[in-house]
Amino acid sequence: MRKESFYRKYIRPIITHKVFSLVIILLALVVLFSIWSAAQGKQFFKASTLRNILNSIVLTSFLTIGAGMLLIAGDMDLSQAAVGAFGGIVLAASIVYWKLPWFVGIIICLLLCGVLGAINAIMVTRYRFPSFIATLAMMSMAKGLMYIFSTIGKGSDVASNIAVNNPYLNFIGKGTIGPVPFGIIVMLVFFLVYGILLTKTKIGLKIMLMGGNKAAANLAGINSKKILFALFVNASVLAGVAGIFSTGRLGQGSLLALQTNQFSGLTAAILGGISFGGGSGGMGGAFVGLLILNTFQIGMGVVGVNPYWVNVFSGVILLIALATDFISRRRLRSV
Amino acid sequence: MSVMENIFAGALPKTKLGLFDKRRLYNEATEIIRKFGLDIDPLEPVGQLNIAHQQMVEIMKAYRRNSDIIAFDEPTAPLTEKEIKILFELILKLKEEGKVVIYVSHRLAEIFQVTDEIVVLKDGKFVKTLKTSETTEAELIKAMVGRDIGDTYANLKRNDNIGDVVLEVDKLSNLVLKDVSFKLRRGEILGFAGLVGAGRTEVARAIFGVDPITSGEIRLEGKPVSFKNPGEAIRAGIALAPEDRKYEGLVMFRSIKDNVVMPVIDTLNKGIFVDKNELTKLANKAVEKYSIKTPTIDKKTSELSGGNQQKVILGRWTNEKMVTKVLILDEPTKGIDVGAKAEIYQTVCDLARQGIAVIYISSELTEVINLADNIVVMRRGRVTGIVPREEATEEKVLALAMRD
Repeated sequence: MRKESFYRKYIRPIITHKVFSLVIILLALVVLFSIWSAAQGKQFFKASTLRNILNSIVLTSFLTIGAGMLLIAGDMDLSQAAVGAFGGIVLAASIVYWKLPWFVGIIICLLLCGVLGAINAIMVTRYRFPSFIATLAMMSMAKGLMYIFSTIGKGSDVASNIAVNNPYLNFIGKGTIGPVPFGIIVMLVFFLVYGILLTKTKIGLKIMLMGGNKAAANLAGINSKKILFALFVNASVLAGVAGIFSTGRLGQGSLLALQTNQFSGLTAAILGGISFGGGSGGMGGAFVGLLILNTFQIGMGVVGVNPYWVNVFSGVILLIALATDFISRRRLRSV
Repeated sequence: MSVMENIFAGALPKTKLGLFDKRRLYNEATEIIRKFGLDIDPLEPVGQLNIAHQQMVEIMKAYRRNSDIIAFDEPTAPLTEKEIKILFELILKLKEEGKVVIYVSHRLAEIFQVTDEIVVLKDGKFVKTLKTSETTEAELIKAMVGRDIGDTYANLKRNDNIGDVVLEVDKLSNLVLKDVSFKLRRGEILGFAGLVGAGRTEVARAIFGVDPITSGEIRLEGKPVSFKNPGEAIRAGIALAPEDRKYEGLVMFRSIKDNVVMPVIDTLNKGIFVDKNELTKLANKAVEKYSIKTPTIDKKTSELSGGNQQKVILGRWTNEKMVTKVLILDEPTKGIDVGAKAEIYQTVCDLARQGIAVIYISSELTEVINLADNIVVMRRGRVTGIVPREEATEEKVLALAMRD
């Protein structure tokens, strides 16, 4: 009897949890690459690989959190990467061209990104554009603004990367606390905070409910427009955070920043069990989804698969994730 | 698509080469249009025609197929008097050509105008066939109403203590509604009867702050109110259980407890977190109060029966954190089995006894007549009459619901 209740109380919730199967997939990938690289006489499973993987997901993680929160509420934002790159340029320009202190630059960067997010939100909640279209337009606008901002105060109107050598930014991008890179710590804190926000707070409960059924949530007095507005701004501000880390890491505000992360935020969120239909999934899943995606990419690199093929396979992974999401939602609907 | 292409959709004439023969198509379409005595250009896109002529194009399409049986389902709804006359002439013409015409309508006058025989259906069952020439409108309505009022209603414990006016709606108008006025008292069950599309749901939505109001006034306990969204209405003490439980009522894939607490999440404070103990307590109380059949409050509402789902919604609107003064129920017994219906009826009466004013919208006439203290009858966005229960008969209410 005791044994069964122990199983029911501790073991069963873990193995029936959605994230559990994702962790299994992640472990399977690690085993696969360990054996594969061992067969080639290389070593995959070592501390530096782990750090590489974690380091590689830092930039994407902020996009994933923003995209994940929006997806759970039943919406999406395609402009994240462009807004983030814009933010990275704003930060570099404010330090290099406008001679502002680094922290003022960060504030301006996050503020302007928030404004772009608010424009997304207004287009979607007030003027009822489909978010796909509104944020696609924002993607283009943010790119244009990025080029424009990279020339303000420069004395030339040719857009270019902005090299920035600021000790504080360098620390944000490359510094470590003990053996752990600063970026990884910030990322883990963000995942934790947003995970708690989603599962323990009132707004989190409202987000889950409105993602599950927006019409019902509205009729039950949940102001879904207000929440959606906050989530769009949140996604853009988080993109700005990604932009700050990008500028710190590269030592320059790059016009090509976050390009490779364009949709990996969204991919990781869906891979992590956040449904395209909204109302399900969480931050733990998004985190593991991100790990799976990057373990796969780095592992393929270690065993020497042509990087072009890695792109192809990443696309296939997204398709599989979308297909499982679609099938499980259809099954739910037929209940 | 042009008129002629629509008429010949699926059977476009072709030339010897297999290309489509525009000239022949034009000629044949013109021929049919002339036969119908209409003034329509075969080349005109259907989208640019008025609704009546669009309907005529549909009919010509059916005629062109040379079918022996042509069915019209409420064909006159979008038509004006003059257009209805043209349609009826057309139907007579079809009849003369030996075709069988099935004409479905809720407008009794039209039925008597064009039919030879009338088939009466009720609740999906065949009732009887009447010869049009040998029957009267009264006899027809009687056949439509039937006689199967069980004693479910006789055993209800009703509220006989109706209080002051809580909600007063005065000349409410919007895109659908025209000058809707009525009063609702404490502990009263106010039934709303009418045909589908009469505007009953729209009244509920307008009061609840979902649909905008163009003119008129709503007074809650004497004070004029106008809610911009359901949240404001809920805080003022109005609750709405929508007609479509699945898509507007419940978040199906969430638990019973989440669904119960939806409107009161903001009151569940424990620092910055949700007070899960309070949440569980509220949900347990709802399950107990309405004897919702479930092993646990963590069960998804999609796994409950229709009756239990409706009880979850009732639990939501009557939990102790709510100050519900007016409860609007839109088709609460839709898709619910007979036993659960009786339970819902008693629950509604109990709520009235607690002093809640209930608006009860239903398409089941027997239900409204036997449950409600007063019945508001609507027709095309207008109130055609308010009938007290003592005077209410199905014939009377139905006549009001169909009055033009």
